Amino acid sequence: MTYLVETTKAGPTGDPGTEPGQAAEVAGASPAGITLTGIGKSYGGPRDALDVPRLAIPAGSFTVVVGPSGCGKSTGLRVIAGLETPDRGSVLIEGTDVTGLPPGERGVAMVFQDFALYPHMTVERNISFGLRLAAKHDRRGGPRRDEISSRVADVCARLGLSELRGRLPGQLSGGERQRVGLARAIVRHPAVLLLDEPLSALDAQLRQRARAELVRLHRELRNTVVLVTHDQLEALSMGTNLVVMNRGRVVQSGPPADVFRYPADTFVATFLGSPPMNLHAVTPVGDGRILTGPGLAARLPTAAGPVLLGWRPADGLLEPLGPDLAGPAGVPTPGGPAPVALADQAGPARAGEPAVPGEPGIVLHGVVDVVEFTGDGTVVTCVGPGNGIQWAVSLRGIDNVPAVGAPVRVRVPAERIHLFDQDSGVRLGAGPRPGGSGI
Amino acid sequence: MSSASEIAPASPPRDGTSGPRDTVTGPSPGRRPGSRRARRAVGTAGHHAFLLVAVAVMVLPVLWALATSFKTAGGVFDENPLPLPPTLDNYRVATQDFPVWRLLLNTTVMSAGVTLLQLLIAVPAAYALVRFPPRAHRAVTAIVAITLLVPPQSLVIPLFLMISHLGWRNTLPGLILPQLFGTGLAVILLRDHVRAVSPTILGAAALDGARPFEVLRLVLLPILRPALGAVSILLFITAWNEYLWPVLAAPDIDHATIQPGLAFFLTQEGPEYGPLLAGSMLATLPIVVVYFLASRRVTDAFMHSGLR
Repeated sequence: MTYLVETTKAGPTGDPGTEPGQAAEVAGASPAGITLTGIGKSYGGPRDALDVPRLAIPAGSFTVVVGPSGCGKSTGLRVIAGLETPDRGSVLIEGTDVTGLPPGERGVAMVFQDFALYPHMTVERNISFGLRLAAKHDRRGGPRRDEISSRVADVCARLGLSELRGRLPGQLSGGERQRVGLARAIVRHPAVLLLDEPLSALDAQLRQRARAELVRLHRELRNTVVLVTHDQLEALSMGTNLVVMNRGRVVQSGPPADVFRYPADTFVATFLGSPPMNLHAVTPVGDGRILTGPGLAARLPTAAGPVLLGWRPADGLLEPLGPDLAGPAGVPTPGGPAPVALADQAGPARAGEPAVPGEPGIVLHGVVDVVEFTGDGTVVTCVGPGNGIQWAVSLRGIDNVPAVGAPVRVRVPAERIHLFDQDSGVRLGAGPRPGGSGI
Repeated sequence: MSSASEIAPASPPRDGTSGPRDTVTGPSPGRRPGSRRARRAVGTAGHHAFLLVAVAVMVLPVLWALATSFKTAGGVFDENPLPLPPTLDNYRVATQDFPVWRLLLNTTVMSAGVTLLQLLIAVPAAYALVRFPPRAHRAVTAIVAITLLVPPQSLVIPLFLMISHLGWRNTLPGLILPQLFGTGLAVILLRDHVRAVSPTILGAAALDGARPFEVLRLVLLPILRPALGAVSILLFITAWNEYLWPVLAAPDIDHATIQPGLAFFLTQEGPEYGPLLAGSMLATLPIVVVYFLASRRVTDAFMHSGLR
């Protein structure tokens, strides 16, 4: 965020009338699924803990709600569950307004982060609790005793809990507890399954397996699943629909690939993806198709104002920069308009400032600062000229990794460049409008 | 003390040459490790001596009373603290000439009644205060806490007038109901215990379709069982030891409780110390039994209540 530079007015390509919150709206969503309208919830803080003008979660989708801690995602889930009463607005589940209904009558089930098993009941009784209550409340229409036991047996078999039915929660491992919590939730065949960070209490190995199990379960049950997480990897990998939240608002929603490819603003851009997207504040030169910043030069296919240039670390092509390649700044390039006077931007020009590329794209010069080996690849963090400007490039292999301190050049192809408004951080131009993709 | 020097190695070692590690682990080439160890031993001994005195101050009178309760009528004022030869005469007098069993039964019924009714009020109150807090729940909680500060003696006269007009003297309702003014303590204690229960468990029960009262009965109460045990023991012992109110509410020997009932041993011919002490021993016996059955919980209860 240190890139944010005070400028006068945003570029003309932006559409300032579009509220980020409205990006959440899914055009033509059926009344099935979950619809939040005008939901607000405040805990007395300076801003609302939750402020969602409209959010539609399609029926049958595996929707992942992601955001940093305190962004309101868990509050939103609890509002859907009925554990929290919103200050205003309404919740529709499968077309029915459930805003005033108690949690048990909404047709939703939930798996909690701490699993919330009843410590004094065996696994079997934990799972059957809801069904037994239903039988008690409705002696005629409720489930019969043999139906309850067969449903519990089914779900135990499905989740591999058959051997553990007589145990108490205190005698189970974390993964087993998680499965009991899941079994208790799905045994009632809920139309909506809510998962509140169900994997965060598991260790890394177990989490990978549990993730796959959840996805498989959703494929078999075909109900609407809403999973809340702060883990951006879970967010991208598990869902068919992704909702990104920040500061109580929905910032963007859509298929994970679309959200990742066309982040609606700099928050989404830097929150999803690891390492996060690199952002650079740049100034246009000439007709606006050439942009420069410290240690950076870019050529765009179309003109832009003063913007934030973004690129994902995996999209950069790293090349070692020999001393002979580190040519002087401002070398005229064929097809380019005028030589770029970099001295105007970041102090005196240095050897190592990149030339404006001939093809559309970004060229950055920097010095390797940190090299992180991640197993499959390597993340190289580089420092550009100027005041501690950093950017990261991920390399697929582990060969040809530059040494720390080596001067390097990174090229980013034009189609991988993201543009954001310097003031609002909203995405400009390139790519479909947020939310326009539909589901 | 040793841990203090262990975690603060930066402080200069007092015996000069050796490092802090040497001074902590005994067999070291430090100059005078012995003196330090001796000083520590003296400190420990002093500490224990203090504790022993404190225990003696509390236990000796009880042991004395226990011993005297086995003495013959003539030996009560002997210099010899030991009841030689021991006799059960006092217990015979206490249980046959006086209605000690009746008094103990009355006390048990009263204490059980007070405990049960207090729990019956306090459990739903604590549950509601935590799970369904009214808008002014802080004020409500504060008012409940303030009732603990009202001296019971100040309520005795109005309460006495009330039960007199109702004709409730020497009845169980007259004995029990006015003692419920102390329910605030149970509410405050249980409220803390309810707050300690993970809200997600109660939320899960609500999502499973449990109505608020079912959440309380089927989920919260089983989880609170240890806490309820501790609190009810505390309430029971407090009610058992109650003196002032039973004296006023149930002066009749058939309806009296054991604590004021002991006064019946102070006969017109003077106090009968032997049977009196035998009665006292019998009065404390149930408490001792409760303590042995659940000593951990009793300790917990008193530690958490911050009383006595």
